[in-house]
Amino acid sequence: MIRNKSMRRASLVSSIVVTGAMLLSTLPAQAATPGVTATEIKLGISSPLTGSAGLSYGKVPGAMKAYFSYINANGGVYGRKITLISRDDKYLPVRAATETTNLILKDNVFAVVGALGTATHAKAYKAAALAANNVPDLFINTGYSGFTDQTKYPTTFMVLPTYAMEAKVIAKAIKDNFPGQPSLLIAQDDEFGTDGVAGFTAAGHKFSSANVLYPQGYFSTPGRDAAVITSLRGLLAAAPGSKPVIVLFGTTDVTAALLKAATDAGVEKSFTWYAGSVGADANTLLALGVKSTTIDGVVSASFMPDAKDLTDPYVKQFVAINTKYNKGITFDNYVLAAMNSAMLTVQALRAAGKNLTREGIMSAIETDGAKFASAGLVPLGYSATSRIGYNGYWVSQLNAKGEGKPFGGKLVVYTTDSGAGAVTVSTFVRPTMPKNGIPTNS
Amino acid sequence: MKNLKLKKGLVALTSAALVAAFAVAIPSAARAADAPTCTTANKVETCTGTDDNGSKYEIRMPAKFNGTLFVYTHGYRYNVNLPALPVVSPTASVVDNSAAVSPSEEVSAALLAQGFALSGAGAQRQGFNQNEGVDAAFQVMQIAKNKYAKITKVVSWGNSVGGLTAQALAEQYSGAVDAVAPMCISDETQAVLDKAAGFLWGFKQFFNPAIKGSDYSAGTKGYGEMVTDIVAILTTLNEIKAAITANASAPAWPASSTVPATLKAIPVRSAVLLLGLINGIPTQSNTYDASSGPAGANETTIGLVISPSLAVLENGADAAILAVLANYDAEVTYGGVVFDNTTTNYAARLGDDGVTYRAALTGQAGITGMLSYLSALNPAAPRVKANAAAVAKMNSVYKLQGKVEAPVITLSATGDHIASAGSALYLAQKYAISVDNGISKSGKLLNIWNAPDAEYTKFDAAGAGVAPTVPTNGVGHCKYSTSQIVAVAKLAAAAAKTGKLPSTTAVKAAIKNEPNLFVDPNFAPPLLKFYQ
Repeated sequence: MIRNKSMRRASLVSSIVVTGAMLLSTLPAQAATPGVTATEIKLGISSPLTGSAGLSYGKVPGAMKAYFSYINANGGVYGRKITLISRDDKYLPVRAATETTNLILKDNVFAVVGALGTATHAKAYKAAALAANNVPDLFINTGYSGFTDQTKYPTTFMVLPTYAMEAKVIAKAIKDNFPGQPSLLIAQDDEFGTDGVAGFTAAGHKFSSANVLYPQGYFSTPGRDAAVITSLRGLLAAAPGSKPVIVLFGTTDVTAALLKAATDAGVEKSFTWYAGSVGADANTLLALGVKSTTIDGVVSASFMPDAKDLTDPYVKQFVAINTKYNKGITFDNYVLAAMNSAMLTVQALRAAGKNLTREGIMSAIETDGAKFASAGLVPLGYSATSRIGYNGYWVSQLNAKGEGKPFGGKLVVYTTDSGAGAVTVSTFVRPTMPKNGIPTNS
Repeated sequence: MKNLKLKKGLVALTSAALVAAFAVAIPSAARAADAPTCTTANKVETCTGTDDNGSKYEIRMPAKFNGTLFVYTHGYRYNVNLPALPVVSPTASVVDNSAAVSPSEEVSAALLAQGFALSGAGAQRQGFNQNEGVDAAFQVMQIAKNKYAKITKVVSWGNSVGGLTAQALAEQYSGAVDAVAPMCISDETQAVLDKAAGFLWGFKQFFNPAIKGSDYSAGTKGYGEMVTDIVAILTTLNEIKAAITANASAPAWPASSTVPATLKAIPVRSAVLLLGLINGIPTQSNTYDASSGPAGANETTIGLVISPSLAVLENGADAAILAVLANYDAEVTYGGVVFDNTTTNYAARLGDDGVTYRAALTGQAGITGMLSYLSALNPAAPRVKANAAAVAKMNSVYKLQGKVEAPVITLSATGDHIASAGSALYLAQKYAISVDNGISKSGKLLNIWNAPDAEYTKFDAAGAGVAPTVPTNGVGHCKYSTSQIVAVAKLAAAAAKTGKLPSTTAVKAAIKNEPNLFVDPNFAPPLLKFYQ
């Protein structure tokens, strides 16, 4: 049965490819690589600029553009200027499919970079035929482990660690730092959350109560956040004197809603809040009305330095670029991550050489990507067989200023995989930042 | 979705009314074709008559003829007389056997003005009747060529099932036509029924088990069951829409639903969406774009979880009605049930859509609950088994081989909810195999796609979607603008002249003023679920 299905699929794919080739045969051969001229490299991004997700993620394209502007002002990539075309998908799958298709057909981009969201990008990848068109799909902003499937997503390169990896690191952190405390998982009921659940399971972590899984958008209905907080009181009653660990594996708006509800109920300090990396941006939490006193002490996981850590050379350089080329935009974790992805993109373009092709850049990342300079404090995992970006996390704790500091005062970097592999302390040494933040690799 | 405004009296149609409407025309026996009767007005000679099968035909010949004749085959028409029913037949209707020479009079006028001759027929028996459609198209073409020796080129084209027929004509009569232009091409009957009747089956299981859906009784009784089904569907759809309008966050299930309370805890909009996704009903419709919401705090939520469900509800109404009418007609014609889902794996059919629409489907827990209820293992949701002999008869019609001699140019809307864009891809895949086998030459097929704008839903002050007055581009069944149709027709005519597809430059020029049309050799809309 499985074999038959596989054969049918293979046959279908084959037919589509053949069909495409035949139809193409009616059209003149493309003279050059799409989106590339002697003076320009055209890239595209589909991400939310407006709508509820725009508040958090709307800074991503602007930050990437700022970094590319900086590179362009310093000679571009082998003399070519980078143009980033940004389209607003509002974090909606159908809209993402439309806008990504537009990037390919109307804007004729060379590659897609920084696409954001699991549901959105899964839909867009297929609809825009990125695989059939062999469009490089670079440094996508989702940790869904499904995107590591090179058969299904042959042109995709992740940048985030998988959610399963994150869950495994969180599980270890709970075991090491909060032994004996009750724990509960509140997670988004989709690939994001189920990836996380799989990670906790792989790590052997057992929560004290059944997981609370909610569909995206669930907390937009007033009162549902308070109801969850009320139910958490049961953990306190069941284990008097304990300080249960509540793992929030969702987006920042949900973290904010639950922290505010806990504050309203006066129980915010009765729990240890452990917010996953997706839902722990301090600036956004503050903007969404979470009190700084509530944020103080929230534990999280990250693979990047904290955006407020100006002692970090990458952060310092990106802040300077942001000040000059992204005027009026507050530098935060989203801006940092976006500029970092832009820097990876420039290195990939350089590694692909002067004769830039779509095949060339994908091959270059497979060959050289693991050595690219980046702000990440954990190793990159690119190879011929791996499209995963960062391979680990460090455990942080927010203070009242919203700064993320190493938990326990010492930076410990963990690395792991998405499966049953152990969580180990990494000896990774981050590559030195290129001079002035301008890559010169080849 | 239209406001159906059902009247109570409609639900209890009298037996007399049903008997009066139940008057299926008896096909006439084969005989010699009538000689055409011709009249001239506005510099166009119009000739009408009936062919060997008794099908009506019509030919329009402009005074300034450019040498190319278009042979048009219309789409599916109900093969049953109907009493007055909201939306379906606002006034009582009888089977329409009239000849059609193009998709609309506006298109006819535009093509005649450019010197093209037009022709077409109206099959003696409507419904899914590809064989007679091919025969009728072939006959009117021959009658026209016999009458007008100045015809040098012929383009076979059609809408929906007519598009399928147009291609079947070209494949079955080698050398008879010089180009083919299937628009909103339909798939084969079994695949189309699988989609529409599959949606209806799920609709019945979830929302109203009183719907019969298939296996209609013989004679007037079966006719009454069919009409009663339509009324039940419309009533239930209305109730669901009202529930979503009243409380989009947690809309209640209709009173007629008998699913367990645990399932009813899932918002009914999620159940509607699931039925659409597992049957290939698009999540964009005439009113709802699945991409926008009224400005405000819930804009994204509405676009993400409400709009796709309402789109499926709007599209699903047409699919469910088609399922009833087509199932009924097919069962009468072929002598038994033709829809079969005894082995359908709906979980597999959800596929990647389970990732895309996870939030709108109320998370994995919601998906699991709903699919479990529709599982073949659940005796409360019995599957439908077809009559093998009836299916064999239905499938005995000519099947497209993808055999392409004359150039073929298709036009398909990415959001067509009846004739999926994947049907054009299906033809392209058949063609690819035909080329591989050395039967057809490469470079003879061009797919032109029609996509909707990124956003098009309009909202009223209360935040409800407003049905557009002009059909939305890229969605709906065969809802092309006149200029789009004429652009494709002219490309087909050019291909007929040269025997080759137009160049990329010519195609781009032809559609440069049609922002919703695009050409991408790698664009691959999903095939019908029947093939997945």
